[in-house]
Amino acid sequence: MGGQNENMPATHDRIQTNPVAHPPNLIEQTAQVSVQAAAFARSPFYRMQNKRNHQSLNLTSASAVFSQGGHSNEWAVTWCQSFASLAGNCGMKNILVLALFQLLSGSDLVAQTPAVGPPVSIPSNVKSVMLDHCIDCHRGESAEAGVRFDDFADLQSNEQVELLNRVQDQLFFELMPPADAGPLSESAHLTVTKWLRDELRHRDASKLDEKLRHPAYGNYVNHQKLFDGSIAAAPFTQSRRWLVSPQIFHERVNAIFKLEGRSRQTKFYGVTNPIVLPDHSGIRYFDTTAVDGGHLLVMLNNADWISEKQILGATQFGKKGGNLEFTNQKDRWYPSTAPEPFVTIVEKTNAPSDEQLIAAIHAQFDCVLQRNATQTEIDRHLPELQTNIELAGNREGLRQMLVSVLLKSEFLYRLEFGAGPTDEHDRRRLSPREASYAIAYAITDRPPDDRLTLAAQEGRLLSAADYRREVNRLLDDQKSFYGAVDPHVSSGHIRPHQVTHPKIVRFFREFFGYPNSIKLFKDVVRSGGFYDNAGRDYTGTAGSVTNEADRVVDHILIRDANVFEELLTTDEFFVLHPRSNEEGQQLVDSWQSAYEGLKGTDWKGNTEQALLENFEHHKEHFAALRITDLKEDRRRVHIREFKRYMNYFENTFAKGKTPFTFPWFFHGGQKFRHSEIYNLPPVPGAGPLDYRGQWSRGGYETTNTWDYPIVQPFKVPHRKGILTHPAWLLAHSQNTETDPVRRGRWIREKLLAGLVPDVPITVDAVIPEDHHRTLRERLDSVTSKQECWKCHQRMNPLGLPFESFDDFGRFRTAESLEHPENLIEQTGRKTNLNVYVTKPVNSLGHLSGTDDPLLDGDVADAFDLIERLAKSERVRQSIIRHAFRYFMGRNEMPTDSQTLINADQAYLDSGGSFRAVMVSLLSSDSFIFRKTLED
Amino acid sequence: MNNRRDFLTQSLAGAGMVGLTSSRVLAGTSPTRPPKRFIFVHKGNGLLPGSLVPPTFDGDLLKAEERKEALVADLDNHDLPGWMAPLAKHQDNMTILQGLSGKMCTTGHHTWCSSLGAFKANERLSSIKWATVDFELAKLFPSPFQHIEFACFPSGGGNSRGNINGIEKGFSARGPQQPNYAFGSPKVAMQELFKSVSADKSAQVRYELERKTLAFLAANEGSLAGQLKGAEFAKVANYADAVQDIRQRNLRVEAMGDLIRQHVPQLAQKYLAEDISTVDRQAGLVEVMLSTLISGMTNVVTFTADELGTPYTGLPGLEGENVNQHDVGHGKSFAGVEAGDIREKIRHQHMGLLDTIVSRLKAVPEAGGTMFDNTMLFYLPNNGETHHSKGSEWPFIVIAGDNTSLDIGRRYIRLPEYGKSGHKTLGNWYTTLLQAHGNSINHYGSLDVALKIDQQGPIADFMS
Repeated sequence: MGGQNENMPATHDRIQTNPVAHPPNLIEQTAQVSVQAAAFARSPFYRMQNKRNHQSLNLTSASAVFSQGGHSNEWAVTWCQSFASLAGNCGMKNILVLALFQLLSGSDLVAQTPAVGPPVSIPSNVKSVMLDHCIDCHRGESAEAGVRFDDFADLQSNEQVELLNRVQDQLFFELMPPADAGPLSESAHLTVTKWLRDELRHRDASKLDEKLRHPAYGNYVNHQKLFDGSIAAAPFTQSRRWLVSPQIFHERVNAIFKLEGRSRQTKFYGVTNPIVLPDHSGIRYFDTTAVDGGHLLVMLNNADWISEKQILGATQFGKKGGNLEFTNQKDRWYPSTAPEPFVTIVEKTNAPSDEQLIAAIHAQFDCVLQRNATQTEIDRHLPELQTNIELAGNREGLRQMLVSVLLKSEFLYRLEFGAGPTDEHDRRRLSPREASYAIAYAITDRPPDDRLTLAAQEGRLLSAADYRREVNRLLDDQKSFYGAVDPHVSSGHIRPHQVTHPKIVRFFREFFGYPNSIKLFKDVVRSGGFYDNAGRDYTGTAGSVTNEADRVVDHILIRDANVFEELLTTDEFFVLHPRSNEEGQQLVDSWQSAYEGLKGTDWKGNTEQALLENFEHHKEHFAALRITDLKEDRRRVHIREFKRYMNYFENTFAKGKTPFTFPWFFHGGQKFRHSEIYNLPPVPGAGPLDYRGQWSRGGYETTNTWDYPIVQPFKVPHRKGILTHPAWLLAHSQNTETDPVRRGRWIREKLLAGLVPDVPITVDAVIPEDHHRTLRERLDSVTSKQECWKCHQRMNPLGLPFESFDDFGRFRTAESLEHPENLIEQTGRKTNLNVYVTKPVNSLGHLSGTDDPLLDGDVADAFDLIERLAKSERVRQSIIRHAFRYFMGRNEMPTDSQTLINADQAYLDSGGSFRAVMVSLLSSDSFIFRKTLED
Repeated sequence: MNNRRDFLTQSLAGAGMVGLTSSRVLAGTSPTRPPKRFIFVHKGNGLLPGSLVPPTFDGDLLKAEERKEALVADLDNHDLPGWMAPLAKHQDNMTILQGLSGKMCTTGHHTWCSSLGAFKANERLSSIKWATVDFELAKLFPSPFQHIEFACFPSGGGNSRGNINGIEKGFSARGPQQPNYAFGSPKVAMQELFKSVSADKSAQVRYELERKTLAFLAANEGSLAGQLKGAEFAKVANYADAVQDIRQRNLRVEAMGDLIRQHVPQLAQKYLAEDISTVDRQAGLVEVMLSTLISGMTNVVTFTADELGTPYTGLPGLEGENVNQHDVGHGKSFAGVEAGDIREKIRHQHMGLLDTIVSRLKAVPEAGGTMFDNTMLFYLPNNGETHHSKGSEWPFIVIAGDNTSLDIGRRYIRLPEYGKSGHKTLGNWYTTLLQAHGNSINHYGSLDVALKIDQQGPIADFMS
């Protein structure tokens, strides 16, 4: 386990920069001072053969060069053709190569597995290139990094394939030849890479193809090439199984029981969702994940529970369930309907006929996979079902059949093979049925609705226009998919924001990554008491601000104009907005009226008497205070409420301020108290938390409290867009410090489509402790070294301007040096932040990578940086690229160039409509056509 | 565990004990190197640190303990607290470990996977950060079942399970966002763990159906995978392989059938009833647990003896009472018995279970010694030092055999107080366990963000 424990992120809860990285040439330099010195520096192969982590290190670092460089159009046609663009011509030197390959021997590169497939035969032109450029260093016992080609012919075929994969990686990521050995000519490069591609793909053994499909490699495709129009290849998506998302899985369970509308369940007692997406910000739902043993273990339990409920639904069909006894009183739900074939079988006292069994098999396929069983499947399942029934009777035998279908891997996958006709580019169109699912799952989490299914059945899902029609129809539907963006962001009266199309808002959540704020654990005292950590059934302050970020995104999406720019630059935010603008205004008006009507009473001196004397005359006012009668058994409560309200009003209305519409004395009201995270004054009456996270109730601050803006969104000072939203700032912070490296990396990768290599494993990425210096100063002290700066220059100048915000996301001009030696004033209260020595925040930064000289350059602060980013064409296109990944479930390939250009143009033509981007992407060739690599 | 005097030679391994010989020996594992075994027994409602202090502490020792100063005392020179009396005969194998903190855990009433994972867990799967330490240890000593968890589930409080007699989410985690499932009653544990050797006809049928379904699934998915290539192949083949893995595990268990049959728990009917007292539930589950260990089905078990929401019934002296532990936590008496005394009764009850476990394992010959030689048992609270815990302390009782790997035996150890130099956390403790048994992790567990001392790595003094 150790640092390599997959179960435990290496950086969890550590107080360190994350992640720090090095540029390619830095790796070389670092290695030179290491024990492995020379060989390490010259031969990245060495690192690859010895440690898997090294492999990704080298790949990522070299790929930075790749992506920045220009390449020919040939490169762009497919992944492997992309290698070819790096190539050129080379003389033919065949004479000694074969001999060398046969003579030289010995490599510990290869896996010790039996040979599979025929031996690899290297063509003479490839041998010639290798003779010229590789053999000198990679032969004999002293071969560089122990990698040798001279014994190639002696290797088993699987060992040969392994070596070829390594060579392919090295060439693709430009790690070989080394800088001091001179580059390959384009034609030589083409010769080798094309042969490698063909050979490895022919053997179905190309690891590079697989590698480049993963999210972390998304930016390795040259950005300029994608958008300059030089690639004319026809777009397609590889035929695929795509693991369902957690949300789609849940809806598939609803579909098993045919639950629709209000009968749709938000939670099933006995079902554990087996699908878990990774935590990182950025698009996480890719088609690269395979089902595995973990999924199976969960599904075994799920299948048991679901099948039991299906059987219960069948046995209870048409009956009243009042007499049913449940062994688990918390699990009393069962479906009110059941497929007729199930009912028939469970009700029979003798063996069912083949027809009845086949009908049941079809019914279960329909419930689980939304299709009939094929004849082959019937041929397999029928005898199994018959045997099971003979063994255990109708009920249990049927249940096992239900389980066997539920456990099919197909239940966990979306199938997009391209069952339609083949076109002139050898691409296969999605069949109408495939298209209906692809469209439905792109916009919702549910299977196709009736109209989409009908369109598929009637053959009206063939052309791009058909796709556009259905996509627009689903986007126009304001009711069917209405629901919470994230049901988990909740607690009591804090409810998740509801939107018409949760899946669309989820794109921006994933892209910005702000929901990760919920995973933080903060020291409450450091917040001055307003911050509330997530706890049981409560997502805390981070959950609340995440919810508010969702509102901002949704608000901008509803307007659907200049969406990207607005997201980056808006100064309008939602803060503690539990009621609509209209409801809030109505409530405050009624309170104001009540206050004016009752403030003259002796509510403070003799509350009970004031209540009794004025109730009849001011019934309407008291109703506004939730006092609607004078029942004696409620008297104590009424007196308390009267006093609380009047106190509240005296500290708001009487001071010329609007009261917050969910005051502290409402049930759950103490959780509505984080205005300070936006640098707004405290919510009146909601006292700070103590160090244990418990509330001091009802005290009114003597200092300025918040004049609540009923109408939201409203302008919040010192904020500009999502990157200054507390949710994003929290999510890109550590538990106790800001994280300028991570903030900078996010901008480099997500907004500038740039690359940052992974942190080299030789680097212990820790910011030194020094309570006399700011974080920036401490960070600079370790990253300004030449070998560090080569990589950190890609992140620090973009992240450091955000030092204007602390690790809670509060704007600041000075950084508090929290250390006992710097203590100026100890408040003596557990809930108040001590006062420490501060140093001014240095928010200077530098923007690079927009490819726009008017934008690139020094920036004064985060606001300056954001302003420039919002104007950048590259930023706009980078967001388009991420939207592509979200809706396609994969990285863009060079062949997707036209799709991306069209989506970008749609955005521009529509005045910045994200809907236009979606329609463009979801009717693109990339979305409609499928192809296998062998095609 | 390395003791400072010779291990008391066991003489229980007579001819009559052959039937209890460890499966590891019978299964062909090297008789010279049996696997290490780990048993975690945890309780709810806190474990009051003061209750673990030997009554014979006096003078400077007692003052140091009261001031919570670091100290090490030889347990040989002291009596155990009264409630630990059932463990008196195992005092040679004991360690009382005080002073660990667990503020990186969820604390308070309920803690979910926190106490074994050293992270802040709650009821949401997403809160499970990684495999709990028992699962990490299980990886180091593989077995057919890897890990088995038993629990006297809570039926009330903020952490209640739907069916305390069923298989429900337990208090361990297999990996990130992967809760483990625990057996809640002796009956269901018997049914599931011993179904392959069940003599019950309907159980045999059900097992046969499950076996057939898995075979059917394996054939179908394997066949599908065979038609695919590249990434698509992996997407199905992984799944087919996983099905095959479960079948293989079942086959291994079936192959151990004769051995397992020898150790099928012979439980009286009262232990198999649906309406079972907590005390009987504990006893029954311990019997099943011992059978799984002795038969070699697993090397690591975790047992929730109770949780705050577990209604405690059948407690000696309070047989007619349904003791609400939350009320006990708030000082409420039951049937005239004060809360403090009820706490002691519960702990005493637990010690009886521990005695059963240790005595039984000491009676099973293995590799020239006994199974217990290679066993470590941990008794801990699942929520720290008290009812409304804050994680300032997390007391442990460790009972370990002579071949285990830590140098802590027969001692009362109080580590430096929270925040002081040398203070250690649950994370340090678990890192110690993992490193001592072959896992090179630098540090296991979340860090305590408020703790300003170096808190990473093992407790070096404990490593032998």
